[in-house]
Amino acid sequence: MSVEHTVGMAQRPAETKPTKPAIDWRGRLLDRAPFLVACLMLALIIGIYGSLQSGVFSLDELNLDTAAAMTLMLAATGQTIVLLRGGIDLSIGGMISLGTVIAATRFTDDPSTTALWALIILALGFLIGALNGLLISLLKLQPFLVTLATWSILNGVAMIILPTDGGSIPSWWVGFASAQFIGLASPVWMLLALLMFWGWFRATRAGIAIQATGSNEKSAFLSGVSITRVNLVTYGLSGLFAAGAALFLVTQTGAGSPTIGKDYILPSVAAAVIGGVSLFGGRGHLAGTLIGAFVLTLIGNLVFVLHVSSYWQPVASGVILLLSVLASSVAEKAARNRVQ
Amino acid sequence: MDLVTVNGLSKRYGGIVALSEATFGARAGEVHALLGENGAGKSTFIQILSGAVQHDGGSILVDGRDYRPANPDAAQARGIAAVFQELSLIPDLSVEQNIWFRHEPRTLLRTVNRKEMRRKTLALLEKYNFPALRPDQELRRLTLAERQIVEIAKGLAKDTRILILDEATSALPAREAEWLLKLTRQLAAEGRLVIFISHRMAEVRAIADRLTIFRNGSTVAAHEANAVSDNEIVTQMIGRHLDRLYPERVATATDSIALSVKGVSSGSRLSGVDFALREGEVLGVGGLQGHGQRELFQALFGATRASGTIELWGKPVSIGNPRQALTGKDGIALVPEDRRGQGLLLTKSVRENLTLSVIKRFTENGLLSRQKEAALVKEMVDFLRIKAGTPEQLAGTLSGGNQQKVIFGKMLLTQARVLLLYDPTRGVDVGTKGEIFQLMRDLASKGYAILFHSSDMPELVHVADRVLVMRNGRIAATLEGDHISEEEILRAAMLETKAA
Repeated sequence: MSVEHTVGMAQRPAETKPTKPAIDWRGRLLDRAPFLVACLMLALIIGIYGSLQSGVFSLDELNLDTAAAMTLMLAATGQTIVLLRGGIDLSIGGMISLGTVIAATRFTDDPSTTALWALIILALGFLIGALNGLLISLLKLQPFLVTLATWSILNGVAMIILPTDGGSIPSWWVGFASAQFIGLASPVWMLLALLMFWGWFRATRAGIAIQATGSNEKSAFLSGVSITRVNLVTYGLSGLFAAGAALFLVTQTGAGSPTIGKDYILPSVAAAVIGGVSLFGGRGHLAGTLIGAFVLTLIGNLVFVLHVSSYWQPVASGVILLLSVLASSVAEKAARNRVQ
Repeated sequence: MDLVTVNGLSKRYGGIVALSEATFGARAGEVHALLGENGAGKSTFIQILSGAVQHDGGSILVDGRDYRPANPDAAQARGIAAVFQELSLIPDLSVEQNIWFRHEPRTLLRTVNRKEMRRKTLALLEKYNFPALRPDQELRRLTLAERQIVEIAKGLAKDTRILILDEATSALPAREAEWLLKLTRQLAAEGRLVIFISHRMAEVRAIADRLTIFRNGSTVAAHEANAVSDNEIVTQMIGRHLDRLYPERVATATDSIALSVKGVSSGSRLSGVDFALREGEVLGVGGLQGHGQRELFQALFGATRASGTIELWGKPVSIGNPRQALTGKDGIALVPEDRRGQGLLLTKSVRENLTLSVIKRFTENGLLSRQKEAALVKEMVDFLRIKAGTPEQLAGTLSGGNQQKVIFGKMLLTQARVLLLYDPTRGVDVGTKGEIFQLMRDLASKGYAILFHSSDMPELVHVADRVLVMRNGRIAATLEGDHISEEEILRAAMLETKAA
């Protein structure tokens, strides 16, 4: 080792102090490609929608569309956390159904009783989710299987509580979704709250640990992360957001439904994937998921104003999903080639 | 008093004894080397120390207090951190996020204080004179060597009194390895205990104060480093005399050209490489790191795009992708650089790893013949002396040397007779190294043609029939016979070629 080497690591200038390097714009662009594609799609859909329908570019429309998308957004927020951890949560379908039937059978005109039951639903969501996490950790089972099972169980319980759609939701609770503050409807405020929550959550140690576990579980473990605790919190939050979705959903339906939850399982995953969240964990942001949820919701509007059969909606959603996956895989390959 | 005292430490995995009755003692302020073949118990020992696994029997005292960490977190709380060979880094986090992971400085809102984190990162990198790193770069964009350096920074970021370096130099180019050795001495001088694992005797000699030797899952001896000779150490490591590490070099090359390479270029790293590899020949590829060796191997295997002409056994080929390169007796097979990442499926069994790329060989009328597969797997396991409980043992649970043997087996089963070996002994113990060299000679005598790169220069000098020295993406010199020496390789690698 006495020979003085002339070349350092990866042909870098032989300096020891970190220098201020140029920002790698192309790399950053490639990293965000899936998200940018989602934004582009949303702009395109809004553009077409706006050219076919008047009054699309108004606050009213924003309020209405956000209300229409909010249940999916809440469900997809939980799903995003789970996907970031590298898992998947199918049980949110059961939790949403269960939440709506409990609300429809227990909510009364008395605000304090209703508030209490709303809190119970939220707590139940967190606990059932945490139980998912615990089962996944302790039994070392696939999240897919565990949450498929709990989905079925929750669905059954929802059926037992309320076999058919019905029950009643107090009108003051239903009115919440259209209540306005400073010109914006409450769902828009919720949207902003979700983004703020995410900005905070992703910067906490817990948020980073969840992302890290999704990125490489073994490395996270070796770094001292308790995988069990990560699973508890991840799936707990997913259950909590599913319960939140149920509480919002009843403002739209005004009733409980033991079967409605299944309509949100796959769309919640699709919204996240369209928004650039990786199914393999470790990568993605809520902003993308929310854009994805808007895309999926507005496709419905678009199909409506185009006066074509509503069966085109799932077809269009599927095509968009494929395009997103394609965009992220192309970007991923381009990014990998750059590393080489 | 010793900082760490270990008595009768034991660990079993199912029926396999990984560690039995190990004893160990080390003081603060010393560099203590652990030596032993792969599978000798070193890895298990440091996994227990770092809290990754828990021991079944025996005791560990740290500072005279009982020490039994339930997880890596508990170990860190007692000031013990490991820089794993199996890296503990998160691909999707940035360099600085990785360094401070779980110990990030926080704001009042309990979020990460980025400014403070950046300041602490730069201070840490400066304090220990780290090679250049960009704190904001995502880890997955980094090379293996850079990741290893981040891992070291991570180990130092915490308030660590005992730092375990598990083959930390094996992924580093010479210059950075030298830096790490200096750093190790500096850490010991600051009063820390550094437990240092390396298969490079020269490094151990350069920095260790004391050393403990492992063999067959137990400790066999502990020495003051300056009171024991290399020969004694090697004898205690393998329990017998290792007559020679390097096999006798018998010229087995024929005149038949196996692999002919003309004007192969790829990007800026490879510009016009010409050479011919003959049947029965071991052709070494040397030079300083980063002068196109990696790119050459990748281009030949078809993992990166390249221009130029490549002929295999006299026939021109366009090697488009690894699968194409793999086909049959006329093909090429590669032992890749990063065996954990590229070569092995760690969560699959030895059998599956061996047969994955040659599944066609066991199919009869479209059906998989388990018997045929089992017979070939057994043959390979015996031939290579792979130490696995059963062929169903997961590859990830094997020692480094045995993992490398599985990759060799996988490569041999493809029946390709042109073999590309990229640093095949990296992180492999002395005994297995010897076996690998012998295997290379045996294969050469059977008519295989072997292109061989090693980051360890003596290996090239003692094993290769000829050595190509690369500089700036070109072949700067071809050394033969008596001209093959470390001095000549370095001269060709570093100095301008004299006008011939």
